[in-house]
Amino acid sequence: MIEMFQYDFIIRAFIAGITIAILAAISGSFIVLKRYSILTETLAHSALVGVALGILLGTAPLLIAVFTALLSAWLIEYLRSFHNLYSDSILAIFLSASLAIAIIIVSLAGEFNSSLFSYLFGSILSVTTEDLIMLALFGIISLSVLLGFFKEFYFIAFDEEVAQTSGIKVKLLNFLFITIVAIIIALSIRIVGTLLIGALMVIPTISALQFKRGFLETMIIALIISVISVIIGITLSYHFSLPSGATIVLTILLFFITSLVTNRKLR
Amino acid sequence: MHWSVKITMKFNVPIFETKFLHFVRQNQNIVNKVSLRINRGDYTAIIGPNGGGKTTLIRLLLGLEKPTSGDILLFGLPLKKFNSWDKIGFVPQRVTQIDLNFPATVIEVVKMGRIAKRGFFKKESPEDLQAIEDAMKKMNVTYLKDKLIGDLSGGQRQRVMIARALASKPEVIILDEPNTGVDAVSQQRFYSLLKELNEKEKLTILFITHDIGVIANDIDSILCINQGLLSCNSPHEAMSCSSMSKLYGIDAHIMHHHH
Repeated sequence: MIEMFQYDFIIRAFIAGITIAILAAISGSFIVLKRYSILTETLAHSALVGVALGILLGTAPLLIAVFTALLSAWLIEYLRSFHNLYSDSILAIFLSASLAIAIIIVSLAGEFNSSLFSYLFGSILSVTTEDLIMLALFGIISLSVLLGFFKEFYFIAFDEEVAQTSGIKVKLLNFLFITIVAIIIALSIRIVGTLLIGALMVIPTISALQFKRGFLETMIIALIISVISVIIGITLSYHFSLPSGATIVLTILLFFITSLVTNRKLR
Repeated sequence: MHWSVKITMKFNVPIFETKFLHFVRQNQNIVNKVSLRINRGDYTAIIGPNGGGKTTLIRLLLGLEKPTSGDILLFGLPLKKFNSWDKIGFVPQRVTQIDLNFPATVIEVVKMGRIAKRGFFKKESPEDLQAIEDAMKKMNVTYLKDKLIGDLSGGQRQRVMIARALASKPEVIILDEPNTGVDAVSQQRFYSLLKELNEKEKLTILFITHDIGVIANDIDSILCINQGLLSCNSPHEAMSCSSMSKLYGIDAHIMHHHH
């Protein structure tokens, strides 16, 4: 197993994977509590539109993915915040519209093949050094925001109205939060792929919730599950030549089943 | 005339003041040109029939809804300019609606009362920790601090929510039907505690309740709301059968419960 570390691409894959695991677990905890889970799927599909455009134009797909995910996120949050329009139906519309547009763009580019496959399901072979730089840059910004406003995000997730009446700028912070989430989702495409990023964000927290702890402990458990799953997932992906998104998510699901079973016994 | 009014206000600024506050929703007058004043140290109950605008009035005062017309002043300042939200504690009518699976220990919830003042990346100061401890002690929930909010009884949960509101050391606390889902014994303790907070700490209290009879002796004044503000001055005047009939729009009779 150690011999895989002789390859640069594996080292890049691990760095990217662990960074994303940390960001996904922390943001994912808030996402689950705010009941935004389906939103991750929607934004992932919006990011896919960006990837498709990137493929068509022959330029940085990830950067354009960040852009399209952000636009989508802001529009959705605007509808929720100012017009009280937020439902599964609206998100389903965004989701299918994005997917349809992405597929058309990719077909036009004539690239309906392996490069799209790696964006859909993740690939440890595809993390470039430029990707790592972008990940480092956006990653540090995202982590700073998540940790810096940690307590505010928690309060808002617990009771948005009381948070507002206690003086917290809820609308602003909600927009900031959704911005960070969109960025993280777009960045995760390489390793996990758009079809499975939602699972990486949401399932570790859901598993952690089975332990019935306070918020901080719950997030730490989610973090541990997320990081270990990514490490195991990438390793399995290398050994069995499977898409990394799938191996990571399968590992997370095993953790979920374990936490479910373990905590049933304790009750 | 103008400047003399200003001087008076400096020494006796009402905590809440509304002037012809009006709120329309779907062509219905939910709050009908209400002018009221809550002064420092008041212990005021708001009563009235369901759907009569009590909660909406509170929400308008707190900036959770935008009025159709009229003025709202908090501590003498127009709502839009008001920024000292730590002076106001709010306990909404939600105790029974809280997601019992939400990962939150009692202390994590009470700590929320100290968040707004801190800002980006700021850690808890000794002052924060002291305020949190004081609030928990006052509401007698210190022994519960590591328990999950979902594992508490209705009465315990209520006390925790109030502790959170008290943690910011407010000058006024607003409670919306605080005793929904709380057992009778806890309710009694709750009212004694409120009375104590009002008398000893000069905490201004404003709360919506259906339990008029029990608190009649504690409170200073009652606001009777049924879209408009009916004239209720003393609690005992409000308790008369004719006032109740006017307020609730039915033929009301007072029944005395012995607690």
